[in-house]
Amino acid sequence: VRRIAIVVGVLAVLAAVAAVAVPRPETADERVERLAAELRCPVCQGLSVNDSPSESAREMRAIIERRVAEGRSDDAIRDEFRAAYGDWILLAPPTGDPRGLVWLVPIVAIAMGVLLVISRLRGASSPVVRPTPEQLALLRERARLEEAEGLRVPPLFPGSGAK
Amino acid sequence: VTFADVGGGALRAALVLALWGLFAAAHAAWRRDGRSLESARWAALGSLILVLVAAASMVAALLAHDFSIRYVAFNNALETPAYFSAISLWAALEGSILLWTAVLAGAVAFVAWRGTRALPRLATTALAVMFAMLAFFLFLVVTPAADPFVRLDPVPPNGRGPNPLLQDHWLMGLHPPLLYLGYVLFSIPFAYAVASLILGEGGDRWITATRRSALVAWALLGVGIVAGAWWSYAVLGWGGYWAWDPVENVAIMPWLVATAYLHSVMVEEKRRMLRTWNLALVIGAFSLTILGTFLTRSGVVNSVHSFTQSAIGPLLLGYLAAVLAFSVGLLLWRSPRLRDVGQIGAPLSREAIFLFQNVLFVAATLTVLLGTLYPLLVEAVSGDQVSIGAPYFDRVEVPIALALLFLMGIGPQLPWHGASRATLERQFALPVVAAAAGATMSLLAGLRAPMAVLAYALVAFVCATVAQEIARGIQARRTLHGESRLTALANLFRRSGRRYGGYVVHVGIAVVALGIATSQAATVEAEATLAPGGSLVVAGREVVFEGLRDVDEPQRQAVVADLRIGDTVLTPALTYYPNATQPIGTPGIAAGPDQDVYAILAAYDARGRAWATIQIRVIPLVSWLWAGGAIVGVGAVIAGLPAPRPRERTREVAAARPLRRPAVDTSGE
Repeated sequence: VRRIAIVVGVLAVLAAVAAVAVPRPETADERVERLAAELRCPVCQGLSVNDSPSESAREMRAIIERRVAEGRSDDAIRDEFRAAYGDWILLAPPTGDPRGLVWLVPIVAIAMGVLLVISRLRGASSPVVRPTPEQLALLRERARLEEAEGLRVPPLFPGSGAK
Repeated sequence: VTFADVGGGALRAALVLALWGLFAAAHAAWRRDGRSLESARWAALGSLILVLVAAASMVAALLAHDFSIRYVAFNNALETPAYFSAISLWAALEGSILLWTAVLAGAVAFVAWRGTRALPRLATTALAVMFAMLAFFLFLVVTPAADPFVRLDPVPPNGRGPNPLLQDHWLMGLHPPLLYLGYVLFSIPFAYAVASLILGEGGDRWITATRRSALVAWALLGVGIVAGAWWSYAVLGWGGYWAWDPVENVAIMPWLVATAYLHSVMVEEKRRMLRTWNLALVIGAFSLTILGTFLTRSGVVNSVHSFTQSAIGPLLLGYLAAVLAFSVGLLLWRSPRLRDVGQIGAPLSREAIFLFQNVLFVAATLTVLLGTLYPLLVEAVSGDQVSIGAPYFDRVEVPIALALLFLMGIGPQLPWHGASRATLERQFALPVVAAAAGATMSLLAGLRAPMAVLAYALVAFVCATVAQEIARGIQARRTLHGESRLTALANLFRRSGRRYGGYVVHVGIAVVALGIATSQAATVEAEATLAPGGSLVVAGREVVFEGLRDVDEPQRQAVVADLRIGDTVLTPALTYYPNATQPIGTPGIAAGPDQDVYAILAAYDARGRAWATIQIRVIPLVSWLWAGGAIVGVGAVIAGLPAPRPRERTREVAAARPLRRPAVDTSGE
C-alpha cells in the first residue's frame, strides 16, 4: 500500500505541475508585465520598471504598453530601450551574449559539486549490513547469557571483538 | 569635557588595551601561562567597557544634538525625534563601525571569561585571534576615515538630519543591530577554527565548543534578514520585500554558507569526516561578512566610481585579504593532520543528503556573489555597464531553493549510513501523499505558476515529515515512559532540543517559502487616478479615495491620502524631508493573515489637491513570511537551550528497557 501511495502521490504532484506548465497564450497585460520586469528603472537602486512606483518607471511602462499594442516583437521593444540607455537597462544579460557567461556558472558549480559527492559515495548496493539468521540466533543467546549471569563472555565473531 | 573627548579618548584607550590583550593572550597560549591569561581577561573586559562608553557618548551626543561632532551634524537635526536620534548610531558608516566594534568587544569578553574556562588552551589561542580582529576595528575607528568623533568647526546651528529612509519606521531600530550581531558572532567559530588549526588539533573540539555561538549567529542573521525584508516592505513602498539589492545579497551570503555549515558539522560529529570542508565553510562565512561590509560600506557596488573616494574601502579590502591569506594558508599547512576517519554512505543516507545540500547552498552563494560582482567585473574587463537584477537571481535561485526544500524533507527522514527500501517506504508514504494534497490545494487556490505549485507540494511534504517525526517521538515516549501526550511533546523539545528545534526551524522555513511563493505568484494590482469620493475595485475589495491631507511635522512635511476599505482606513503618503530632493513614499498597509492590502500614493495634484493616483496591491500570505522568520527564531532557541543533564536520561532509559539493550554494542567495539 505504501509503495502505491508513494507512486500515486509523486505522479499527482508531477501532473499538477505539468498542468500549469503548459504554455498558454499570453494576454497583452501579461506581456507588458513580463517585459517591464526585465527592464531596470533608470532612477532606482536596482528595481525593475514593473516594481518601481517612480515617475520614470511609469513612463517606461506606458511606452511598453504602446509598443505591445502596436504589435512589436519582444526583441524590438528591448532593443529600443537598449539603444536609448545601453545594455545597462536590461536586468539580466542575454543568454546568447558572451557576457551571458554568468548563466553558466551556477549550472557548472552544481554539476561539479554533485559529481564530486557522487564520486565519494560508498557503493550503493547494500546500504545496511544485516546479520544473518545464524548470527542473530547467536546474538540472542549471548544477550540472554549476559543478562542472566552478568558475565563477560568471549567475543562473538572472531576478528571483530575486543581490540 | 565634550562627548567627543570622552568617546575619542575611550576608543584610543581601548585600542591600547586590545593590543595588550593580543600579546597577553598569545603569550598565555604559547607558554600556558595563567597570569598572562588573567591579564588578557581584564584587558578584554576593560576594552569592552571603554567601547561601550564610546558608543554611549555617541548616543548621548546624538540625543543632545551636539553638532560640534561631524557625524552628529551630518546625521541628526534639532527636529529629529529622540528614538530616531538614538538609533542614528547606525545611520551611517562611522556609527555602524562603532556598533560593530562594540559587539565584537562583547564577543571578545565572552570568549575571555567563559570560553577559556572550558577549554583553556584552544580558547586562549582563539582569544588572541579575536583580540587581533578587535584591534583592527579599533584602529579603523580611530583613523580619520571612520572616526565617529571627528569635530566640525565652525559648529553649524542645525544638522542635516538622518537619511530620510532611516527615520520612517521603528523597525530601523531592530534590524541593523540584529544583522550586526549575526555578522560579528560568526567571528567566534572562526577564531576557534583558526586556533584549532594553529594548535594542529585536527579534531572537532572547536566545533563542539562553538556550536551554540554559531547557532546564535546564524539565527540572529536570519531573523535580521527577515526583519530587513519587512522594513523594505513597510518603508520603501514598492510592494515587495526583496530586490536582490547588493546590501541584501551580502547579508544572505554568509547566512547561506552558515546554513550549510550548521548541517555539515553534524556529519563531522557523527561520522568524523568533512574536517577540511567544515573549516573551509566557517572561513568562508566569516570572510563573506567582511566582504559584505566592504562592498556596502565602501560604495563599490552602488557606484563604481566612488571606490577611491572612500578611505575605509582599501583598509577593509586589506583586512579581507589578510584574513583569507592567513586562514587559507593555515588550512593548507595543517591539511595533513585533517584526515577523515569516516566514510560517506549510500546516496540515500543522511550524510549524503547533507552533502548534496551543502553543494546547493554553496552554489547558491556563488551565484549571489557572482551576480553581485559581475557588473564590476564586466566593467573592469570591457568597460561596458551591465546590470544583474531580479530576473537573473530569480531564475537561478528559485530552482535551487525548491531543491533545498525537497532535501529538507528527505534528509532528516533518512538514517545515517543508508536506508533500506522498507525504511524509505515507511518514512515517505505519508509525506508524499501530503505533497500531492499540497499541489492540489494550490491549484484550487488558483495558483498558475509551476514553481508556486511545486513549492506548495514541497512545503506540504516538509511539514508532513516533521509532523510524522514528532508523532513518532511522542508515541515512543508514551510506550517507554508512560507519559501523557503533552508531557511527551514537552520532553521531546526539552531533551532532544537540537533535533526537534531543528524541525521547528524547518517548519519556519516552509512557512517562509509558502509566503514567498503565494505573494509572488498571486499578487493582484490596480492603479487609478481618482478625484475625492472616487473608488476602484481590486480583487473584489472596494477602495474609496476620501481626499488628500497636508501633515506638517517639525522634521518633515507629508501629503497623505485617506483611503477607506470597509472599516479600515489606509494612509499612504508622500513625505518631503529638507535633506532629500525626492519625496519618500510611505505605503499604507492593511495587514491580515490571508492577505495584505498595500496602497501607494504614486502622484497627486500639487496645486488644488483635486486628484491622486493610487496604486493598490493585494498581496496574499505575505505576513506568513514574517511569521515564518519568527518561527525560525523560536526553533533556534529550542535547539540552542542546554538539554538536561545526560546522566539522568541514561539512567531512565536503562531502567525503562533493561531487556532491549543491544548486545552487539558490547561485542562489536
